[in-house]
Amino acid sequence: MISTLGLFRPRDTPLHKAPAWFKVTLLVVTTMVVLVSSDAVTSIGIMCASLLLLASTMPPAKVTALTLLGTFVVGALSSALFMWRGDWWRAADVCADLIAIVSLALAVSSSTSMAAMLDFVATLARPLKAILPPDTIGLMFAIMLRALPEVAQIYAESRQAARARGLDRSLRAVIFPTTTRTVGFALDLGQAIHARGIGEEWDATDEVRSKREQRRAKKAAKTAQRLRGRSGSAPKRTTGTVAPPAAPGSRTTGAEMSREEAFDKLTAPRRDATAP
Amino acid sequence: MIEFKGASVIAPDTGVTILQPTTLTLTERHISIVGANGGGKSTLVRLINGLIPPTEGSVEVDGMDVAKHGAEVRRRVGFLFTDPSAQLIMPTAVEDVMLSLRRSIKDKTQRTKAALDALEEIGLGDRADVSVSALSGGQRQLLAMAGVLAVTPSVIIADEPTTLLDLRWRAHVGALLRSLPVQLIECTHDLDSASRAERTLVVDNGQIAYDGAPAEAIQRYRDLMFGRTSRRDQQ
Repeated sequence: MISTLGLFRPRDTPLHKAPAWFKVTLLVVTTMVVLVSSDAVTSIGIMCASLLLLASTMPPAKVTALTLLGTFVVGALSSALFMWRGDWWRAADVCADLIAIVSLALAVSSSTSMAAMLDFVATLARPLKAILPPDTIGLMFAIMLRALPEVAQIYAESRQAARARGLDRSLRAVIFPTTTRTVGFALDLGQAIHARGIGEEWDATDEVRSKREQRRAKKAAKTAQRLRGRSGSAPKRTTGTVAPPAAPGSRTTGAEMSREEAFDKLTAPRRDATAP
Repeated sequence: MIEFKGASVIAPDTGVTILQPTTLTLTERHISIVGANGGGKSTLVRLINGLIPPTEGSVEVDGMDVAKHGAEVRRRVGFLFTDPSAQLIMPTAVEDVMLSLRRSIKDKTQRTKAALDALEEIGLGDRADVSVSALSGGQRQLLAMAGVLAVTPSVIIADEPTTLLDLRWRAHVGALLRSLPVQLIECTHDLDSASRAERTLVVDNGQIAYDGAPAEAIQRYRDLMFGRTSRRDQQ
């Protein structure tokens, strides 16, 4: 799989020095111009300029060449209808438009760090600060980009797994594992972000955060109370040979005891706790 | 210092007790936690930085209740996951470490320098601008470690950090973790690594089955596992 994420390399080219807002604006304006213009010469001129700009950023050769080749193939297929009709100028226009947009987008990605892009998105999102902190929107943007190659990889692996089981034609054998693994990845990512403390600095105030965590603790206590009422005294997951739980305030000693003794000891405090 | 005060975890949807009420004080510099899959090791360590809230009881880090001061605790307690891929968010190594530093260093130039220093320190200085997807599993784990260490935590929790690594990377990452000047709490299936700790907890069926010196704890863990296997064979 070709991934153009992580294309950025720190270099000293003019495009690297240009601010992110300028590059994104250039990309948007050029895209609009090539889409509006139906003149093949203009499109080819813009395509050449875009390719030169891309070359000036010195992007990783292999990924860039493969991406451009893929774009050219898609461009050729898109313009096949015009070629079949004999409208060569229109076919060249369509193909050049596509290559121009993709090469300029590659030039922007290879000359703009994700941090700079994140700052740019955060700046753009400033008017929305009443709804969501701008940095959080920037982080969401980064996570979205991060998830794309991961989901593609999960899909490819699910397809391989389905093929290995002889289920090449089963859509369910591909979609179900892809969906569940994607959700699993999202949960893992969320937990990792939480563990790294990312985003927490953007919470409104310490007071708000403290209140929210107190609410969460209160909710957990309520759940515990409800569950104790529902499940009765005996905990469900207490099988096998076990040692007694650690005594409060002291380290456990790990003394030997039989399974029955251990079970009795384990369940006793729970019974006491649930006694009226 | 980390204190568990009767902390327990019950799954809210099923009512299954994942961790029995646990009371523990963790003060040693290197503590290893061993136990069977699904025994409750990960739940135990996730309580320490508030990834999972206790259903009952409380957990305190340096006197701060994790449930009430989660953000402050997470600034002191770094967490390393088994699969580093989910922990890496930004496309290149240096940008990922910079993301960890966004809170502490506002100036971009200083932040970049600090991130590069963190990568250099961990041995990834020459991979700073490489795409995260181009790094090997071991390098990704090192990068995740750099992201955690960049914010200078006082405790690092490593949840099976070497499980997905080959022998060479396992030895390298393990040695690096043990050499850090922080309190290390390591969940592991690598008994060799567990034996190098100062204290070992054996977690089984959602409770601390043994707590003591590594050699005895590992023997106890073996007895627990093989005893269970032979019983299953007899049945």
